[in-house]
Amino acid sequence: MGSGAGTFQENYRQDMAIFRTGLQWGLLLALLLLLFISPFFVSDRLLTIMTMIGISVISVHGLNILTGYCGQISIGHAGFMAVGAYTSAILTAKLGWPFWAAFPSAALAAGIVGLIFGLPSLRIKGFYLIMATIAAHFIIIWVILQLRNVTGGGDGLAVPRPEIAGFVFKSKASYFYLVMIFACLATYLAVNIARTRAGRAFVAIRDNELAAEVMGISLWSYKLQAFFIGCVYAGVAGSLLVHYFAFASPELFPFMDSVWYLGMLIVGGMGSIPGAILGAVALKLLDELVTIVGPILSAAVAAQAAASLALITRGLVIILFLIFEPRGLEHRWVMIKAYFRLWPFSHQED
Amino acid sequence: MFKIRSLLVVFVMVMVIGLFLFTSGASAAGKTVFIGGTMSLTGPYAEDSAAILAGFEDYVKYVNETKQLAPWLKEKWPADVTIELLWRDDELKPPKALSIYEELKAKGMLVYRISGSPIALALMNKLKDDHVGATSMASGPYLLKPPKTIFPQYPIYTDEGAAFGEWFLKGWKEKRKPRFAFLTADSPFGRSVETPELKAYLEKIGIEVVGSQYVPMVPTAAPTTQLMWLQQNKVDLTFGCMINPGAQPTIKEAVRLGMGPDKAYKIIFGFALPAHLQVFVPAMGDLGNGVIVAGGYPSHWPTVTKEDVPGIKFCNELINKYRSGKTVAHVMYPHGVVEAMIQVEALRLAMQKTPLEKLKPIDVLQNGFYKIKNLSTGGITSTPITFGPNDVEGIDAIRMQQVQKGKIVELGVYPTRHIY
Repeated sequence: MGSGAGTFQENYRQDMAIFRTGLQWGLLLALLLLLFISPFFVSDRLLTIMTMIGISVISVHGLNILTGYCGQISIGHAGFMAVGAYTSAILTAKLGWPFWAAFPSAALAAGIVGLIFGLPSLRIKGFYLIMATIAAHFIIIWVILQLRNVTGGGDGLAVPRPEIAGFVFKSKASYFYLVMIFACLATYLAVNIARTRAGRAFVAIRDNELAAEVMGISLWSYKLQAFFIGCVYAGVAGSLLVHYFAFASPELFPFMDSVWYLGMLIVGGMGSIPGAILGAVALKLLDELVTIVGPILSAAVAAQAAASLALITRGLVIILFLIFEPRGLEHRWVMIKAYFRLWPFSHQED
Repeated sequence: MFKIRSLLVVFVMVMVIGLFLFTSGASAAGKTVFIGGTMSLTGPYAEDSAAILAGFEDYVKYVNETKQLAPWLKEKWPADVTIELLWRDDELKPPKALSIYEELKAKGMLVYRISGSPIALALMNKLKDDHVGATSMASGPYLLKPPKTIFPQYPIYTDEGAAFGEWFLKGWKEKRKPRFAFLTADSPFGRSVETPELKAYLEKIGIEVVGSQYVPMVPTAAPTTQLMWLQQNKVDLTFGCMINPGAQPTIKEAVRLGMGPDKAYKIIFGFALPAHLQVFVPAMGDLGNGVIVAGGYPSHWPTVTKEDVPGIKFCNELINKYRSGKTVAHVMYPHGVVEAMIQVEALRLAMQKTPLEKLKPIDVLQNGFYKIKNLSTGGITSTPITFGPNDVEGIDAIRMQQVQKGKIVELGVYPTRHIY
């Protein structure tokens, strides 16, 4: 193991390891250390951006399991986030539940609603499933708006800050830690879900449903499992989002966000855990960059130059990735690693 | 192919590095003070926001050049302080608005601007906690209880609805009570008008409230069902919050269904500002006959027809001076000028008490916004603006305007009832 000519696995334990070398472990620990000490040296704004990225990462992991691994395309993810968000908001704000009890309930509620809307996936797929999940988003938002006495309707609902064992997550730094702990946990679980029997079944279903069924994989069970897991992730992200704002509103879950979550997967790389993280980070940072560039462009060119700039840029980036790098940033990262692994005897791709 | 793929990677890296470079940009050097905030240049408010932004830009240039707040105001802006406009497009998305707020706050902004209801709802408690005073295009009643630190420039929607009800009753001849329904946008902005207080007020003055119908903010199909519901429930008047992209197709469909003051089914449709007859009438012409907007800006905008509206004349002068012939015809331009004027006045008042170097947002809130009394907008708003710790609704009267024979007609000014 770890010889100059490569890294070889000599037993099952090594073969099953997520991190195989000391260097990989070192890089992981350094990254985690950097992440968790960052509140001491980054600005409030960067902390806010990183918190939002953390929430997006959790959500995109869920979509990755559902769409990237299992091949069930969902454009209702923001709607499922809203289910988790409102469950948590109602339980804490209206019924006075503590956060630690409301939070898993929110995840569970989103998972159950995901199961319900996942039922059509047994009969339909592709374009038709997309339409069904779009409908799910609008039904969920419609229900939230109609249940005004419970949800606050369009006016929204004030939500308390999370409190665990008397500690209130009120400061930006404390909430950042809360989100990052869940983001790391979500990543760890996602990596392991992908390695389980269910994870392999998801991939089999994605690659060829008929072949998977012939091999004895229950499409009914595994597709619903994928919907449940994906929506649990969405529920967790939704709950964290509304507690951060201390306010729940349907406007926090616009339909277009579902499309952008899918875009994050495309940019990062579908069916890949690092891809989900890279995609969420890249598109969120792109968003922030465009926000800053907008006024500069507006002053230099014309006021209209900044209008819809973020929409155009995000759309353009997704198109470029679909054409030139359909396997996403994760594949680029793999190529860069491969290049340096063989260095100085690198080969030219293509 | 390898080069193109590598370019993609380079693009992402540049993006990340660029972000850090831009965000590490220091706050303004010397005696500079920032005004502005977020604009929603993407989404349903894009048209309104673009005009507001133009108003902000030109007003900042004017104050920096002349050190005056307006031609009709005697107060002078400090000669050694320069104003800089800071703004970002929030896409009407609360998460984005939050990170923008943090960025602009870190840059040293002492005042802020809110672009629309979703952003106001999401940030209002945060602004209150941070003691940051903000101007806003949103004017929902949620800003009033308890008073937040967001100061709207036109009357609260519920007060506009009350004024509309009072106007309608003046012309009501039948013995029965008129039947009222909310016809409003299906959004926080639209639904914020539908409060128990407004319903109670309308019932109190003798109007029967029947129910509510909701139309998408920007309808993708004609709202036939909602309009037919009004017919089936024998509704005589409706009121709601809609922007023009929602109001125009709704009224077109109403006309097709034979609904209007001079049609087979008699009904009056009323909207709160920011529906604008100045934009609605050129697009709709006679089709819009009978439509009311409560709380609007001077009906003759952008034409200067009266010597007694110096605000409109001022806006035209700004456009001519700073836009080199490119006119801004949208009525939210004067709104942008007024918003900028309020932010500048709040800063000016606060600087009289505390030197700029020591100024904090709470100083601008307490010694600026709260101290604005009778700020004349040159007739752009229906009354001069007055704010206080328990008075964030700065306007005390509501202009009522109606489309008649394809033209905007002034129906008079109604008092603000402060019903919420």
